[in-house]
Amino acid sequence: MSGTLEISNVSKTYDAGGENPVKALDKVSLTVNQGEFVSIIGPSGCGKSTLFNVIGGLIPDYTGEVTIDGHRIDGTHRDVGVVFQEESTFPWRTTLNNVAFPLEVQGMAREAREAKAREFIKLVGLEGFENHFPAQLSGGMKQRTAVARTLAYEPRIMLMDEPFGALDEQTRLLLGDKLLEIWSTLKQTMLLITHNITEAVQLSDRVVVMSYRPGRIKRVIDIELPRPRSSEVITTAEFGHYVGDIWNELREEASRGMADAEEKLAAR
Amino acid sequence: MAQTGVIGTVSGLRPRITVNTIRITTIVVLLVLWEVLAAVGRSGLLYKDVVPSSIQIGLAIIHEIFDPAFYHHLGITLAEHVVGFTIGSTIAVTVGIAMGANPFFRKMIEPYLNGIGSTPKIIFLPILFLLFGTGIESKMAKGALSAFFPVVFSTTLGMMLISPVLLRVGQTFSLTRRQMVSKIYMPSMVNPIITGLRLGMAIAVIGILVAEIKFSNGGLGYRIAEYYDQFAIASMYALIIIIFALAAAANVAMTVLQDRLNIKQGGSATRNAGLGAST
Ligand SMILES: Nc1ncnc2c1ncn2[C@@H]1O[C@H](COP(=O)(O)OP(=O)(O)OP(=O)(O)O)[C@@H](O)[C@H]1O
Ligand SMILES: [Mg+2]
Repeated sequence: MSGTLEISNVSKTYDAGGENPVKALDKVSLTVNQGEFVSIIGPSGCGKSTLFNVIGGLIPDYTGEVTIDGHRIDGTHRDVGVVFQEESTFPWRTTLNNVAFPLEVQGMAREAREAKAREFIKLVGLEGFENHFPAQLSGGMKQRTAVARTLAYEPRIMLMDEPFGALDEQTRLLLGDKLLEIWSTLKQTMLLITHNITEAVQLSDRVVVMSYRPGRIKRVIDIELPRPRSSEVITTAEFGHYVGDIWNELREEASRGMADAEEKLAAR
Repeated sequence: MAQTGVIGTVSGLRPRITVNTIRITTIVVLLVLWEVLAAVGRSGLLYKDVVPSSIQIGLAIIHEIFDPAFYHHLGITLAEHVVGFTIGSTIAVTVGIAMGANPFFRKMIEPYLNGIGSTPKIIFLPILFLLFGTGIESKMAKGALSAFFPVVFSTTLGMMLISPVLLRVGQTFSLTRRQMVSKIYMPSMVNPIITGLRLGMAIAVIGILVAEIKFSNGGLGYRIAEYYDQFAIASMYALIIIIFALAAAANVAMTVLQDRLNIKQGGSATRNAGLGAST
């Protein structure tokens, strides 16, 4: 299984009807190697979701190039599986049928797809909730359903946009453990978008810090904490060191983002 | 789960008792008031027979239920309703989906729909009588016209409120156009369409009865008008009560049906929890 993702010189400007065009991404270049776990971190509004949508093939009009194993991609791609920032489970499907969805669409027979879906449900720790509807699940369980659904698609590259962004810290740490466990079994290439420093350090081989507007790559930090890692790693001194380092990079960007938001509020 | 179920039933039972008590009390109070009015009527203070006693009405109800003519008229109204509602709602669902899918089309016809939709449809009755005559055809047309608006509005809104994230999920899993329709658009539309159909069904009944009372030679509305003309006031009330009961029963049936579908869709968490506890 291969799955090297190469992003070169990607720029994207939203021109909202001509006035005040927003330069969301400015010449972003990044290579994510096969089987690597990379996180992208940046303040709110810096263009993380935009980059996510470009890689996921949901924004066709960008400049630059995105390739997988050397092949340029335009549009959605079989090798890229995405998990959205927003809630995305189908409310009319049970957990089992949500997770089996990509297999059903591919025409897999019912028994086979259900058996496979059960494996992934087990992997994300939702055993016993196969026949529940999303309305009966907690926020974290819904996001796990969405993660399992994308895993069932068996993409070579998993692209996740703040999948656990709306969850409390404890749940998020434990789900991080689950994600690492899954990754060590399936060994996909992982690209995680987050605004949570702890999450980025806990999970990644490399953390990419983005600057606020225009979105550029400010720094790439290698996380040399030993693997396999568990969430206990957050109590170590080294972990704190990495968190401090990333915060130093981010602080300036985050305050620029905040100042920008305040200015906009004042201008109203 | 079982525990919350038990708590749910206990706390759910109390308001139900109170609600039922209030409902029964209301009926009893209304009956008593009615009898007082009837007594006043008999004493000559009101026009005689305008307020027949509830016993007279009760007898008239029984008489009505055993009268074959009642079923003849009921059949006419039902036929008008089924045909009118089916035509009106089918067109409405089609137009609503087209409006939701095509913003240009929506902008084009929305002002007209809003305009006509907020006009009482009764003003079109003379036109319908002229176009379709005074027989069942004009009633079917009235039913179709009445049913059309709630269904078209609800369908359009449903189309516009389909979650864009779910559509993007479909895109990223490389669904074909047909799969997008069958696996994402259609399931998303079940609830808004059913809500519209429920409303349309009820409004079509009203529209048809009004048309029958106005100008017709058959149907329950015609029978009401006939009793009125014959000054058979007790029979008229009896028929109104029967129609009321039929409408209430139809509404309950629709509610149950929609709840079933909602449960299948996991529409409401509390309902599902309740169902889980009781089965
Ligand atoms: N469809 C769009 N049209 C116009 N501007 C947009 C659009 N989507 C995003 N933007 C703008 O582009 C910038 C980057 O947005 P983006 O959603 O990529 O941020 P983000 O880093 O994901 O933020 P968050 O952490 O809050 O999710 C923002 O300033 C936003 O206002
Ligand atoms: Mg975002």
